[in-house]
Amino acid sequence: MKSTKFSSIFSTFIFCYLFWILFTWTFTSQELITGAVVSFLVAVLTARFFIHQNAFHLFNPVRFFNLVLYIFVFLKELWKANVDVAKRALNPNLPINPGIVKVPVGLESEYGMSMLANSITLTPGTITMDITEENGKNYFYIHWIDVAEKDREKAGDAIKGTLENWIRRIWK
Amino acid sequence: MIYVAYIFMIIGCFFAFAGTVGVLRMPDAYCRMQSSTNIATLGTLGALLGGFIFSLTLKNTSMALKILFIAIFIIITNPVAGHAICKAAYKSGVKAEKLTCDDYGRDFPNE
Repeated sequence: MKSTKFSSIFSTFIFCYLFWILFTWTFTSQELITGAVVSFLVAVLTARFFIHQNAFHLFNPVRFFNLVLYIFVFLKELWKANVDVAKRALNPNLPINPGIVKVPVGLESEYGMSMLANSITLTPGTITMDITEENGKNYFYIHWIDVAEKDREKAGDAIKGTLENWIRRIWK
Repeated sequence: MIYVAYIFMIIGCFFAFAGTVGVLRMPDAYCRMQSSTNIATLGTLGALLGGFIFSLTLKNTSMALKILFIAIFIIITNPVAGHAICKAAYKSGVKAEKLTCDDYGRDFPNE
């Protein structure tokens, strides 16, 4: 079992406390003290599952700004994919062409990969099924509702689009 | 302002409708999952965004913030369940109709 560092406990504590304050939204001293105690306990118990790398990675303003920008980039992709799948579902001919493709991923950090996998799953039309590692390179298995490209690299470009580059700016 | 909220709610309803039609019409479990993501993303997000603007017009900040957090938690937790269900369906032997290519079945023929 890995020993938990103070820095990771502290950043988990900040995260939990922020959520507590935003959820309760009452600023009496009772609420604030209870929140601090509860989030400290949660942070001590869960910091080692929550943080595997540098604890203050996201506290860098450039990365945080990129994370906020990423939300808007992602919403645009989400809208396009949603309209596409809604059109397919409502089309009388049901124009689908499903398949499972294997796509290479150029990200290294665990957070970056899980963020990309979750983004791909959230856009309708693509679901990440599994992640494997081969010869030091990571691959996603993606179920795709309309297989336009069977070639791995081209399919990867079509599915990931610009999302991967944006995530690389946040998590490397 | 309140009409903007209505517009977002109508968009949410439309995508939830399209997703439901997709779930009923798609041929196999995996394609149905794809269509159900339609409901989970723009369906709920549209309705929640409408509720967010609606609660801002009521000048109720704490309600607006809670709605925003519901949206964030849906975005974080939904895909995890999504690929768990998809992988579990594949491993328990649910057959897909007319796959154009199946790299997963080729790499893991025993599963």
